Amino acid sequence: QGHEELDAASLREHEEFTKVKNIAKIELGKYEIDTWYFSPFPPEYNDSAKLFFCEFCLNFMKRKEQLQRHMKKCDLKHPPGDEIYRCGTLSMFEVDGKKNKVYGQNLCYLAKLFLDHKTLYYDVDLFLFYILCECDDRGCHMVGYFSKEKHSEEAYNLACILTLPPYQRKGYGKFLIAFSYELSKKEGKVGTPERPLSDLGLLSYRGYWTRVLLEILKKHKSNISIKELSDMTAIKADDILSTLQSLDLIQYRKGQHVICADPKVLDRHLKAAGRGGLDVDVSKLIWTPYKEQG
Amino acid sequence: MSRLSFRPRPLDIHKKLPILKSARDFEDDDPTVAAFAAARVGVLLRHSGSELTAAAAATDGEGNSTPSKKNAQEIPTPQFDDVETYDRDYTRTFAQPSCYIRGRGARAEIGEFVEYDLDNEDEDWLDDYNNERKNLNPEKLEVLLFKLEILDHKARERAGAITPTFIGPVPVLLQLDVAMEALQYLSVRYAVFQAVYNYWRAKRERWQKPILRRLQPPPPVNDTNPYNVFRPREKAHRLHTRRMQRRENNIQSFEKLRLVRRNLDQAKALMGALIKVSSCIN
Repeated sequence: QGHEELDAASLREHEEFTKVKNIAKIELGKYEIDTWYFSPFPPEYNDSAKLFFCEFCLNFMKRKEQLQRHMKKCDLKHPPGDEIYRCGTLSMFEVDGKKNKVYGQNLCYLAKLFLDHKTLYYDVDLFLFYILCECDDRGCHMVGYFSKEKHSEEAYNLACILTLPPYQRKGYGKFLIAFSYELSKKEGKVGTPERPLSDLGLLSYRGYWTRVLLEILKKHKSNISIKELSDMTAIKADDILSTLQSLDLIQYRKGQHVICADPKVLDRHLKAAGRGGLDVDVSKLIWTPYKEQG
Repeated sequence: MSRLSFRPRPLDIHKKLPILKSARDFEDDDPTVAAFAAARVGVLLRHSGSELTAAAAATDGEGNSTPSKKNAQEIPTPQFDDVETYDRDYTRTFAQPSCYIRGRGARAEIGEFVEYDLDNEDEDWLDDYNNERKNLNPEKLEVLLFKLEILDHKARERAGAITPTFIGPVPVLLQLDVAMEALQYLSVRYAVFQAVYNYWRAKRERWQKPILRRLQPPPPVNDTNPYNVFRPREKAHRLHTRRMQRRENNIQSFEKLRLVRRNLDQAKALMGALIKVSSCIN
């Protein structure tokens, strides 16, 4: 992903370069977090083992005092951009990479620390960022995000996805996946995540696709086509097929394909797929699809 | 793969597929089919390929969890700690409005927000400069450095020296006297101002680029250095495989349609004549 432009020698240099972690720890809001991967911060930051991030504007600094000084003047208490979803303490903000370039770049620097295959090769102008937050009286605190191309040739409805380490295993990641499909439904398009998926990403998506599709099959009375399932869920036909095939739910009987939906079998698959995450309450989504201006 | 996966024809996604709810529906082939299908559930993860096994082992115990060395490497475990000073650093001053929050646009465009934050060099220089007595506080230095950057950027704009991407060292065009006059309102003593200006200028000359990140030109698209990021990219040219939906309803379109109609009428008349002629011949 994003490596086509590099020739063989540059690619080797790139691989070597990205193996060595530079920043080992970051401070972000309430937590001090160990990083997982290298991130290409500007060269001035190469001598730092730890960076301090402003939780809201995501500016990063090398010393704690610098962050504390910054906090005195930074009046941002939530991601820049529009709040498009609010349910209880959970909020989703949409940030346009073109309108909030520095924020978008800061977010990419930060996210790369926890994503192996993400590339920062190109600028953030052509992306939208969906920032998931938990809100309290100190502000709206990012727990995770996903990015999305404004215009995708390949019908990608998600580019990168990350739940920050302190907030993992709480259902936020699954929420982000579900949310990306709710946006696709509102756009009237099918979507699929950008490839390659990480190991965790593939597991999460398989779980999501399984839960959504099998719940429909449990309730559906008559015949159904893959296309209809795709129209109902905004899940791409390929993903539906590969999910059902991997669960052996598509069989060939009496000269035609059939879907096996024995409730006991489906329940066993659903159990294996794991619990759903936090639900998306569509009635609380206030959003119109992105339109290019001017 | 077993006989269950025998598929002589590719699946048509538009075709409605029967949904078989019970094991009895499978009986046209083999009574053991249902049992077999159920047994396969347990191996569904292995069946789907190695990526999924690696991922599966890391689930919260709900799936087939047999950890292996490979799996431990694929999905890192979060390590994190609390920040002690959090309660002091982040104040409880956020009042969530009842309506959804609307974005205001980037701070840079709106007003007087000081985008620049002092870095290590700046702080160290300031400590030295304030060694004997307190000449300057950090917030003031921050404002000065920020304003100097903005003024220099404007000077380069006026001189036509702004390039869309990084093609070489970025020059400093802002002169001390011009800066002094523009920033008079900050009420800084001349000696202090001069010291800051000289410090800033020297730093700029070492860096060869602006010290405010937003003003640094991005790398050119053909730069292959993996250290460089955020190259500008044009929106990908989208193949127009269909005519634009927005058809203009104007006079030209109307005339065109009229012309097409005339041509079709003529063609119809010709065909009619041809038919007559050929039937007469016969």
